Amino acid sequence: MKEIFKFALVLGLVTGIAACALGVVNQITQPRIALQQQLALNAGLYRVLPGSENGCIIEQHLDGLNMYYTGYLNRDTTDFIGYALPVESKGYSSTIRTLVGLDSLRNIISLKILFQQETPGLGTKCEEVRPGETEPWFQYQFKGLFVPDVALDKNGGSIHCITGATITSAAITDAVKESSVKLFSEL
Amino acid sequence: MSVGKEFIKGMVRENPVFRLLLGLCPVLATSSSVMNAIGMGVSVIFVLVASNTLVSLLRNFIPPKIRIPIYISIIATFVTVVDLIMAGFFPDLHKSLGMFIKLIVVNCIILGRAEAFASKNNTFYAIIDGLGMGIGFTFSMIIIATIRELLGNGTWLNMPVFGTQFEPVLIFVLAPGAFITLGFIIGGMNWLDHRRAAIATKS
Repeated sequence: MKEIFKFALVLGLVTGIAACALGVVNQITQPRIALQQQLALNAGLYRVLPGSENGCIIEQHLDGLNMYYTGYLNRDTTDFIGYALPVESKGYSSTIRTLVGLDSLRNIISLKILFQQETPGLGTKCEEVRPGETEPWFQYQFKGLFVPDVALDKNGGSIHCITGATITSAAITDAVKESSVKLFSEL
Repeated sequence: MSVGKEFIKGMVRENPVFRLLLGLCPVLATSSSVMNAIGMGVSVIFVLVASNTLVSLLRNFIPPKIRIPIYISIIATFVTVVDLIMAGFFPDLHKSLGMFIKLIVVNCIILGRAEAFASKNNTFYAIIDGLGMGIGFTFSMIIIATIRELLGNGTWLNMPVFGTQFEPVLIFVLAPGAFITLGFIIGGMNWLDHRRAAIATKS
């Protein structure tokens, strides 16, 4: 019986020290990680709002529960490119963060997955670029789609499922559609 | 026990990938390009040396009955450190290695060396063992990745090697290519061993 307290103490001590050490490392790396995420977001915004990389205006909007970006080609904010909407969805093994570019006619300009940690070899194919192609095939399928038409092929839409990763495919597709519909209904 | 011998054993005689067949999951999964292989290898060297050091330092303090949870806590801590540093400073590498960095926690080489070596030897030898095994692991990864990247993508460290005429053999960057490459290397090493043994018995 006495032994068990000793074990608990030793194990508690080891994990306690480990937790402190990780706290310190986290303190140091957190600003860098936040910076990297910001850079990834910026790259994503340029991607889904084409033309925006050469001196355009991207503004962040917060209204109620929605957060989205708008992109304009030049300073007098007349040449509207579109909206960029960050979407989060619960995938199979991670929260998938996607950025959707939308034009004012409710068409998807393009789609960029910012973060995912799905099953290697299955769900991670949502970012797979097939040999000889330049864009990830799964995300490319969304290009130019009318928002209400977005659906997986088994639900009558045009988006081909990733083989072996139905949950990942559905999570992205459903969340993109839902969030986009919601955005346009509240604009 | 000699320092040189402990260091060199991880390269060939007790090579973790080709001889002990440990930690094959990340070997198969992340050896599709030389860059990934180096990133994975360096991460493993760091975790292996750090965990070997700590396990060896604490070897008289850790109660044998709860040694495994303690080893795992130590290993998981170092893996998290690698993961955070990589996410902050090498985002592209972090993205392409993805889950496999976190999975170093359950890599058999690291727990195996803690249990089989570091817990029984002094800290200096534990570090040498960790370095040798880690470098042996990285070295094997680079060999497999070189073959796979050359044949499957026509590049080495992302630099084009063959002319534009080269048609990449796709299967080598895919999962089956990893098994095929590893199989041929292990087969080749065994064949050499048998031959050497046969010559030795003849003479």
